[in-house]
Amino acid sequence: MEPVGQPDALDPAPLLVGVKDDQTVTQIIFRPVWERTRRGWWILFLIGLGGVGLLITAISVTLARGIGAWGNNIPVGWAFGIVNFVWWIGIGHAGTLISAILLLFQQKWRTSINRFAEAMTLFAVMCAGMFPVLHLGRPWFAYWLVPYPNLMRIWPQFRSALTWDVAAVSTYFTVSLLFWYVGLVPDLASLRDASKSRLQRIVYGIFALGWRGSGRQWHHYRIAYLLLGGLATPLVVSVHTIVSFDFAEGLIPGWHSTIFPPYFVAGAVFSGFALVLTLMIPARRFMGLEQVITLKHIDNMNKVLLATSMMVGYGYLIEQFMGWYSGNIYEMYSVLNRMFGPYALIFWLLILCNVLAPQLMWSRRMRTNLAVTFGVSLLVNVGMWCERFVIVVVSLHRDFLPSSWAMYRPTWVDLSLFTGTLAFFGTLFLLFLRFLPAVSASEVKELRQELSEHAEEKAA
Amino acid sequence: MADWILGEFGTSSALLKAAEQLRREGHTRLDTYSPYPLDGSSEALGLPRSKIPLIGLAAGLSGATLGYVIQWLTNAVDWPLNVGGRPPHSAPTFIPITFESGVLLSALSIFFGLWLILRLPQPYHPVFDLEEFRTASSAGFWLSVESVQAAAEKEQLVRRLRSLGAVQVSIVPERR
Amino acid sequence: MKSPSDRVDEAGVDRAVEREFPMGAAETADGMDRRTFVQLLGTSLALSGLAGCPRAPPEKILPYTRQPPDLTPGNPLHYATAFATGAYATGVLATSWEGRPTKIEGNPLHPSSRGAAGLFEQASILQLYDPQRARLVKYKGVARAWKSFLAETRQRLDYLLEANRAAGLRFLLDPSGSPTVEDLRRRIAAAFPNARFHAYEALDRDNAYQGARLAFGRPLETLNEFENADVILSLDADFLQCVGPHLRHSRQFAARRAPGPAMNRLYAVESMLSVTGTMADHRLRLRSSEIQSFALELLSELVGKHRLGALAAIASALGQPLDAGPRAAWVRAVAADLARHPGRSSLVVGPRQPALVHAIGHAINSALGNFEQTVRFTRPVPLEAEAGSAALAALAAEIRDGRVDTLVITSRNPAYTAPANLEFPSLLSSIPNVIYHGWYEDETWARSAWTIPAAHPLETWSDARAHDGTISIAQPLIAPLFNGIPELELLASFVGEVDKNAYQILRESWQKKTPAADFEQRWERWLADGLVPGTAFSPERPSVRWDALNAAIRGAGKQDDAAPPGQRPLEVNFVGDYKVYDGRFANNAWLQELPDPITKLAWDNAALLSPATAQRLGLGQGEVVTLELRGRRVDAPVFMVPGHADDAVTLPLGYGRSGMEGVARGMGFNAYLLRHASAPWFDSGLTITSRGKHHPLAVTHDHWSMEGRPLALQSTLAEFQKNPGALDELRGPTETFHRPVDYDQAPHRWAMAIDLSRCTGCSACVVACQSENNIPVVGREQVRRSREMHWLRIDRYFSGPIEEPSVITQPVACVHCELAPCEYVCPVNATVHSDEGLNEMVYNRCVGTRYCSNNCPYKVRRFNYLHYTQDKPAPEKLMMNPDVTVRARGVMEKCTYCVQRIERVRIQSRIENRPIRDGELQTACQQACPAEAITFGSLHDQSSRVSRLHRDPRRYDLLHDLGTRPRTAYLVRIKNPNPELA
Repeated sequence: MEPVGQPDALDPAPLLVGVKDDQTVTQIIFRPVWERTRRGWWILFLIGLGGVGLLITAISVTLARGIGAWGNNIPVGWAFGIVNFVWWIGIGHAGTLISAILLLFQQKWRTSINRFAEAMTLFAVMCAGMFPVLHLGRPWFAYWLVPYPNLMRIWPQFRSALTWDVAAVSTYFTVSLLFWYVGLVPDLASLRDASKSRLQRIVYGIFALGWRGSGRQWHHYRIAYLLLGGLATPLVVSVHTIVSFDFAEGLIPGWHSTIFPPYFVAGAVFSGFALVLTLMIPARRFMGLEQVITLKHIDNMNKVLLATSMMVGYGYLIEQFMGWYSGNIYEMYSVLNRMFGPYALIFWLLILCNVLAPQLMWSRRMRTNLAVTFGVSLLVNVGMWCERFVIVVVSLHRDFLPSSWAMYRPTWVDLSLFTGTLAFFGTLFLLFLRFLPAVSASEVKELRQELSEHAEEKAA
Repeated sequence: MADWILGEFGTSSALLKAAEQLRREGHTRLDTYSPYPLDGSSEALGLPRSKIPLIGLAAGLSGATLGYVIQWLTNAVDWPLNVGGRPPHSAPTFIPITFESGVLLSALSIFFGLWLILRLPQPYHPVFDLEEFRTASSAGFWLSVESVQAAAEKEQLVRRLRSLGAVQVSIVPERR
Repeated sequence: MKSPSDRVDEAGVDRAVEREFPMGAAETADGMDRRTFVQLLGTSLALSGLAGCPRAPPEKILPYTRQPPDLTPGNPLHYATAFATGAYATGVLATSWEGRPTKIEGNPLHPSSRGAAGLFEQASILQLYDPQRARLVKYKGVARAWKSFLAETRQRLDYLLEANRAAGLRFLLDPSGSPTVEDLRRRIAAAFPNARFHAYEALDRDNAYQGARLAFGRPLETLNEFENADVILSLDADFLQCVGPHLRHSRQFAARRAPGPAMNRLYAVESMLSVTGTMADHRLRLRSSEIQSFALELLSELVGKHRLGALAAIASALGQPLDAGPRAAWVRAVAADLARHPGRSSLVVGPRQPALVHAIGHAINSALGNFEQTVRFTRPVPLEAEAGSAALAALAAEIRDGRVDTLVITSRNPAYTAPANLEFPSLLSSIPNVIYHGWYEDETWARSAWTIPAAHPLETWSDARAHDGTISIAQPLIAPLFNGIPELELLASFVGEVDKNAYQILRESWQKKTPAADFEQRWERWLADGLVPGTAFSPERPSVRWDALNAAIRGAGKQDDAAPPGQRPLEVNFVGDYKVYDGRFANNAWLQELPDPITKLAWDNAALLSPATAQRLGLGQGEVVTLELRGRRVDAPVFMVPGHADDAVTLPLGYGRSGMEGVARGMGFNAYLLRHASAPWFDSGLTITSRGKHHPLAVTHDHWSMEGRPLALQSTLAEFQKNPGALDELRGPTETFHRPVDYDQAPHRWAMAIDLSRCTGCSACVVACQSENNIPVVGREQVRRSREMHWLRIDRYFSGPIEEPSVITQPVACVHCELAPCEYVCPVNATVHSDEGLNEMVYNRCVGTRYCSNNCPYKVRRFNYLHYTQDKPAPEKLMMNPDVTVRARGVMEKCTYCVQRIERVRIQSRIENRPIRDGELQTACQQACPAEAITFGSLHDQSSRVSRLHRDPRRYDLLHDLGTRPRTAYLVRIKNPNPELA
């Protein structure tokens, strides 16, 4: 099968391989939806459900016994809960970035992976959203962070970064959901029309809202989609900026730092891309999407991975430098404590995973080597989790007065909550792959069209 | 009774040419159907600029204002408290929420504005009566002319579509 | 999957369950089970607000200062009473809410309290409500009625009388100075001619009395007046903590720590770092066994160089000239300093040191002319001057010979506290009829035929003597909660007074003593004031018997083994514990959870030794070892204490209980198992072998060093006077973007000042805070997770060489920053500032984000990680201070500057239509502090004590550079070292 879109000097690897016409696109992309559920899917799904069970147990214990079931203490008031929250939120960012920012920059290669990444965003934010509520001493009063009229006239305190978080995370989730759904509608219509059984037709039909793909609809649709993308772009930057304020607003050495916003955003994109790769590499294999998600995509994403890795690396460097340059004994100590204190191992692990490992990506051979990419992406996920652990726990456990210094040890509840959210995420993702097109068919067709025109021009 | 005339074209370009042509010939109630947005379809159909950007902008601004006002009213006016010696009206700390609420309201209004303008969700539409038309969402390029009354006109349109290169033409009754 | 941390909390639950159902306490004699009993109790108390307390004692008891026309619900009353630890009574005021005693404070009129209260006095309130206290009269484990005990005992006594005039009747009592007990004993002795009385307590003062006997020919009580002493030398004497009138000592000592010419100087010679040692200007670590030869060296130095005329009399006995070396230099300097201050110096010897050292102390004091100046003497407070292991050994011998038929025990749990070699537990079992009057179903209880629950001091009438002999009438505040029998009633029953209650017994004995017509008025005065005026012992003026001393010194010779440090056999030291004393407070959760003032250990004791010795033995922190002494073994975790003497191990007594008390059981190890009657305080030849295990100790403050940060500051008088401006960058205004809030409109600007020069780290304030503010106890496992709840903690830092560290303690509670970092991060306005500058915590608004705690640079906020107050045993709920919210799970809490007290005083001042007077308002910690290190008041009043201290040149702010503007200021600790030793 000959590639559509002739390779040229600038982008040699093709974005689509062997897709003659729209019908093929439809077949390739919808195959996983129409075909019978595979055994592999069921196995993974059951494992996932098991994990969700663990999650539910851990949550019940937390709610029943109190936050004391976790390992937190004084001085380490925040630990796994917040670490996981920041980690998950960060992961979400890749989705929005790919779909929104690359959309604005009109990056052709985004089309095959944006749906995938956006779904990931939603599920990641769902996982993230649990922790801020669960980590409360009295979760049942979480709604007190929202300004609702009440008899006592007690309002939230809007100088606290936590109220900003509430606004940011909820907005982020809503907008991502809308963006994702709007993008999904044409494909839902297409599923409705192509569906075999009446039930499928009805169900997909309901969600397709009666989309006809008419010129008048596309007329408004395109601008709306573009605008949502335009909104999501500053939003995604703002969200992790605000998350970083949770720490930057505090005065604890290791938290009180002005570089946090950019460095957190970079980190978020970094981890997000890593997880997209982690999920995409097996997915495209098992769902036969190699033709629409090609090595070209992997290659590009690895470039982003490398770039963001350098950014976070710079962040680490500046943090330590500032600690020293400030001449503040507390800052200096916190820097030394990170590198040589009781939790030093985790610090060096994060340097290995986040700064050293991605350096492989300088070579194209590595970038296009699936095994290497997969391994590196896994390492980065680990590394980014460690980074958050270092920022949250290691900064807190030794602050100003040595008298209050203490160690933090997670409990089985902490661990189950984390693994539980991983399983929850995976389960949602499996359902998504099973019932919805993992790649936006309409956009791929549009891309195919453009590429073939492009090819004709070259031929002429 | 009124009918819809539907014609399928082989390529998007053919579809657009036909639409353009028919519009010149004075047919206003035209529409094109394609699995993905076609460049130039709006021009071919002669559609005015979309109102959606204006909706988004207005909603965004009012959202931001609302966000700021809520923070100011609750923290500085209704019940000012001495919080760590900070001024009750600490503007810089109100910025994040102002921004977020702006984005939120803007996005919501764009989303619902879109469906409002498109009159969606719409469970039934005459074109769905034609089974062949279902290719429109996956591979086909279709053109429709809305509820045509006169039989003569119908005849004429069917012929015209064929001459413009329609692969197949059908007439769908518009139920009332 | 289960992790240790999970078992942690399960353990907590188990403990809770044990507390709920202490074994053998399931039902009371009248068949009512404990639950209903307590429920009824609760209900009745609920009603008491309206109907007055039904459990109030029937007799007329009198409130402190004023007698109310009628009890006003919602207003507490204060009753003066007394609490004795060992022989010495401390006068206290007990707060009572509608008949519920809730808090114990010091009685300002009482000579050994002066308004301060120690750990034990304050914590005893918790034991009043301890549901694990014994509650049934039992015979061989079966519940019996008090009446049947009386009847059967009567029979046995008659039989004994006929047999051999009651030769088989023995009493083993707590050493006590109670005049009424004295009367009863006299009458019992008359009724049972051959009966004998013995006294025993594990932490006896025999050595002191023996020393006096050696020096003066008769046992005498030694009273120190530190306010007159310019130079103090302590030989193993921890006079600022635990021993006798330590509250009085602390106050007198602290009064002389103000920098300036009047400042005193303290030299301490000791083996284990003690509270007194931390206050010393110079500290010499010596093994306890070396202190005697130190005393001799000092003596010879004084004789040789300083020609103290009186001492010349014993010059002949002193062979050894002073050798060279740092220790010699030390001795010379101290001797010179003492000699420079005749009549203004004081040498204090601790009860752990042998009689000879005490005698030498007396000799030196007398030669320096300190008698009547810094040292006074009276007859001993307790009835027996011998109440130690020797006395117990004598009794043990008689038991072994089968000469004891009936043994009446009111002493505290001798089966546990007796030296192991006496095998007292098995001896007890061999006695036909043991009658034990005890607080708990403890080790002794298990080996006694008749077991009688004792009434708590707050449940019964009694009288007791203070260190100087002053008598206090102790009045009850509540009728016995658990059917406790007063000691007086038990003893009276032996002289047939079975129908009289403690009140009648007490009054009659006093009426006999004071036949005055106005007895009634006097009696009421005594009760109201908490002491009987003019009952202090008349001073004794002994003179030293030089010849006897000569002989003794010749006999003693030089003790030190010449072996260099490192090869010497390990010395073992037994010390009373700062928290559980001899074990009698082991079931007191407040004291168990209180971090030890020196080691900061909670809930456990450990084998304490110096880092060097640990290194030599290859032991790590918390490593479990087997200690072996004279063939007896016990396992203990090792804990390193900087400043501990090398080649010596210190074992705090009072832990490792095996009784039925759920709180105490399983905590620490029992050091009594190594104690030998012939060497009760220190002994040589200890061997240590590691078990290769590790015991997770609950340490609340693990990090020794201050990491070079300006936190707890100390300086010397000279340095400080050289550059007084050194502190300027640690105080005064800091830049800020904000216009500072204007507090001038507010009526007050509450603030606190803490004088580190005065603070000894005794921790009385911590317990006071716990008692005042209903602070929950979280248990060992939670403390291991560093979740202790104390609002006020005492930081303890070591600086300088780890072997010879300088120690400083610093009380840290919420410093109420004006620009509080905790407040602006709270998303729900749960912590905000009052217009008077209090950093207020709104519990019912808190959702528990813990952001405030993270952002608190002082880490003084405490979080209810679990529902710590939920499994509080029912009786303890009666102890809660109704003015303070009991916090539930998931909310943050912290020091409030005792806002409830502020409001009470404010209300009072408004009623009387006057401003709040300076000093009228005391926070709980301030009130308890024996050293008056804590001051509280308003900064608006320029003349108030607190504003003067805030202007003090020694004032500085903790973490000043953060710009938080704390309202609590600290005053640098000034030390007064001897230039010759610099």
